[in-house]
Amino acid sequence: MMIGSKILLVDDEVIFAKNMSRLLDARGYQSTAVNSGAEAIRELENGNFDVVVLDLKMPGMDGLTTLKEIKKLGLFTQTLMLTGHGSIDSALEAVKLGAYDYLTKPCEIDELTAKIEGAWDKKDDLEKKDIQDKIQKVVESPRDAMRLFSK
Amino acid sequence: MQDLPSDHLQNGDTPSPDEDRQARYRRLFYRFVLLTLVCSVVPLLLVGWGMNIKYNRLGEEQVMTEFRKEVQHHRKVIELFLEEQSDKLALMAATHSRQNFSRPGFLRSTFDLFNKEHWTLTDLGVIDDQGDHLAYVGPYDLLDKNYKDAHWFKMVMEKGLYISDMFMGFRREPHFIIAVRGNDTDGPWTLRATVDTEAFRSLVENVMIGRTGEVFLVNREGIYQTTPRYSGRIMEPAAIDVGEVHPGIRVRQEAADAGFNGERSVRQIVSTAWLETPQWMLVVRQDKDEAFGAENQANFSVLIFLHVTAATILVVTILVTRYMLNLVKRKDAEADALNSQLMQTSKMASIGELSAGVAHEINNPLAIISTEREIVLDAYRRVGDMDAEFGVQLDDSLNQIDVQIKRCKRITHNLLRFSRRTQSVIDTVDINAFIGEVVDLMAREAKSSGISFLEELSPEVPPILSDLSQLQQVFLNLITNAIDAHENKQYGSISIRTNYLEPDGIVEIVVSDTGSGIPEEKLAKIFDPFFTTKPMGRGTGLGLSICYGIIQRLGGEISVKSVVNQGTDFTIRLPLRSPDAQPDSVHAYDQQVEKAA
Repeated sequence: MMIGSKILLVDDEVIFAKNMSRLLDARGYQSTAVNSGAEAIRELENGNFDVVVLDLKMPGMDGLTTLKEIKKLGLFTQTLMLTGHGSIDSALEAVKLGAYDYLTKPCEIDELTAKIEGAWDKKDDLEKKDIQDKIQKVVESPRDAMRLFSK
Repeated sequence: MQDLPSDHLQNGDTPSPDEDRQARYRRLFYRFVLLTLVCSVVPLLLVGWGMNIKYNRLGEEQVMTEFRKEVQHHRKVIELFLEEQSDKLALMAATHSRQNFSRPGFLRSTFDLFNKEHWTLTDLGVIDDQGDHLAYVGPYDLLDKNYKDAHWFKMVMEKGLYISDMFMGFRREPHFIIAVRGNDTDGPWTLRATVDTEAFRSLVENVMIGRTGEVFLVNREGIYQTTPRYSGRIMEPAAIDVGEVHPGIRVRQEAADAGFNGERSVRQIVSTAWLETPQWMLVVRQDKDEAFGAENQANFSVLIFLHVTAATILVVTILVTRYMLNLVKRKDAEADALNSQLMQTSKMASIGELSAGVAHEINNPLAIISTEREIVLDAYRRVGDMDAEFGVQLDDSLNQIDVQIKRCKRITHNLLRFSRRTQSVIDTVDINAFIGEVVDLMAREAKSSGISFLEELSPEVPPILSDLSQLQQVFLNLITNAIDAHENKQYGSISIRTNYLEPDGIVEIVVSDTGSGIPEEKLAKIFDPFFTTKPMGRGTGLGLSICYGIIQRLGGEISVKSVVNQGTDFTIRLPLRSPDAQPDSVHAYDQQVEKAA
C-alpha cells in the first residue's frame, strides 16, 4: 500500500462520501470527498490525484460523463467506478471507456482499498513507462544528431 | 346474459368467461347459418316452389286442353257413326217402297250391304203402320211381334227418325235401334235397324285413355248406355251426376267414386259432352295421377333437385360456418395466449423496473450503513481499554449488522438480477449433456432427501445457442424448489424430460416433481418477485422470478402446471437460437449442426 496516495471520492451521497473519506484516511490515504462530477473535474484540474472513486449515478453530470471529462484531462490518474449494481451495464461501458474497474455498493472498505491498490499500481506503471519513453527519446535524439553529423 | 340457462340466474352465478364465450360462439353459429339460409336457401325454395306451382298449372292446363280435344273428337266420331247409320237407313227408306223390302232377298241384300265393311247392325226389319213386321233379317225370331205400343214406334211415326236408348225389348238383352219412317201410297211404314251393341261399345271405347281410364255413355236418366270398364254394367244406373244438358265439353276434377278403378285413385278427371241425337252424355274419365303422370314426374324431379340443392347449401353452410368458427376459436385462443403472455411480460417489466429502482435506492443507504459500521469498527479497534462486556456486545452487534447488510445486499442483488438486462454470453449448449451435469450436481442433495432423479432425454434434441450459466441458474433453482417440495414426504422423484418440437424449432424441457404441488390460486403469482410458498425465512421469493426473467431474455417460455399433493411440472421451451446470439456464434453453431448431420 502506498501510504499517502491521493484519492478523490466522488459521490452525491454526502454522508457516504464523507464516511469513505474518513475510512480511507484512517488507512493512510489522503482522500478528498466531493459530491458532483463538476466538482471532481475542478479538483482534478487543480490538484494531483492517484485514483478517483466515481459513483455512476449522480444528478447533473453522471459518472460516465464525468469519466469522459477526466479522460480529456490526459492524466495518469485511474478511475474506479462505483455502482448500485442496477447500472451494471453502465459500469461495463465505463470500463470500456477506460475506467480501471468497478465496484458494487454496498462494498466493504477492504474490497475498495484492494481495488485502489490495483488502480494505483496501474497508474504507477503508466507513469514509469511514460518516463522511460521520454528518456528513450532524449537518449535517441543525440545519437540521431551524431549520425547526421558524421555523414 | 339472456342466453344463459335460467338456473344460472336463479343461483346468482355469473357465467365464467369460457361459458360466455361458448354462448357467443353458439350465437355466432346460429346467426351465420340463419343468415345464409335467409339469403340463399329461402329465396331458392320460394322461387323454386313458385315456379313449380306455375309450371304445374300450365302443365295441368295443357293436359286438360288435350283431354278436352280428345273428348271433342271422340264425340264427333260417335255422332258421325250414328248419323251415318241414320242417313243410310233414311236413304233406303226414301228410295225404296215397302213392297221392295217385302220382296224375298231384298232386305237380306240391304242388310249385307250395310254390314259389308264393318259389322254394325244386328238386324234389320220393315214394319207397317200397324206395328207388324213385313220383313225381318236377323238372328231373332221377331216376325210375329207387334210394336204398335212400343215407345220407339210411336216416336218414329211421329218424328220420322228415332234413335232409342238402350232397352231390353222382346229379345231380352240390351240394345238400341235406329228407326226411320218411309211413306208410300199405302201410308207410312218403318225401317228399323238394331245397332250391334258390342260393335257400338268398341266404337265408344276406341279412345286413348290409358290404363285407368274409361269411356261410357249415359242417357238423361243416368242409365249406362254402354258397359264401362270399371264402374258398372249397361242399363244399370250410373253413379255419375248427369245434371243438365250442356253444350261443348266440360272437364272437372273430383274425388273418384268407389267403382272407378277400384279404390286406388283418389282424384279423377271427368270430362262430359252431350251427343245431340240421341241425348246421351259421353263420359271420359281417368285417374288424375295417370293423366298428369308425365307432368308429375317432371315436377317431382324438379322438386327433388330443388330440395337436394337446398339441403346441400344447408349442409355446406353448416360445415363452412363450423370451419370458420373453428378458425375464430383458434385465433381467439392464440390472441388469449398472446394477451396473457403480454400481460405477464408487461407485469414482469413493471415489477422489474420497480425492483431495480427499489434495489438501487436501498443500496445507497446500505452503503452508508456499511461505512458507518466500518467507522465504528475502526474506532472500536483504536480504543484499547474498553469494558469487556461492552466490547463483546459491540462486536456481536457489528457482526450482526454485517450479516444483515450482506443479507440485504443479497436481496437487492437478486432483485437486480431479475430485472437487469445484461448481455448474455451465448454459446452452443448441448441440452442433454447440460441436464446430465446439473443432475450430477444436485444428486447428492436430492439423495439425502430421499429423492431420485429420472431422466428421459430425447436423442433428437439438437444443440442450441443459449447462455449456459444462466440456464444453469434456472435449472439449479427449479431442482432446488423440486427438492424442497418433498419436504413432508419420505421419498419422491424428480423427472427431467427433453423433447424436440421440430416444426417450431423448439427444445422443450420439463422438470416434474412428485412433491406437495401448488394450489391453483397461487399458480398465477408464482413467477412474481417476493411470492413464495415456502415457510417464512426459507425463501426470498425471487428464485422463480429470476428464472422467468432469464428464460424470457433467452427468447423462451416457462410455464407451470401443478396438482396439489401430486406434483408440479415446469415446462421450459427454448428456441434453437437465443435472440442475443451474435452472428459469429450462429455461424459456429451452424457449422456444428452441419457437422453433426
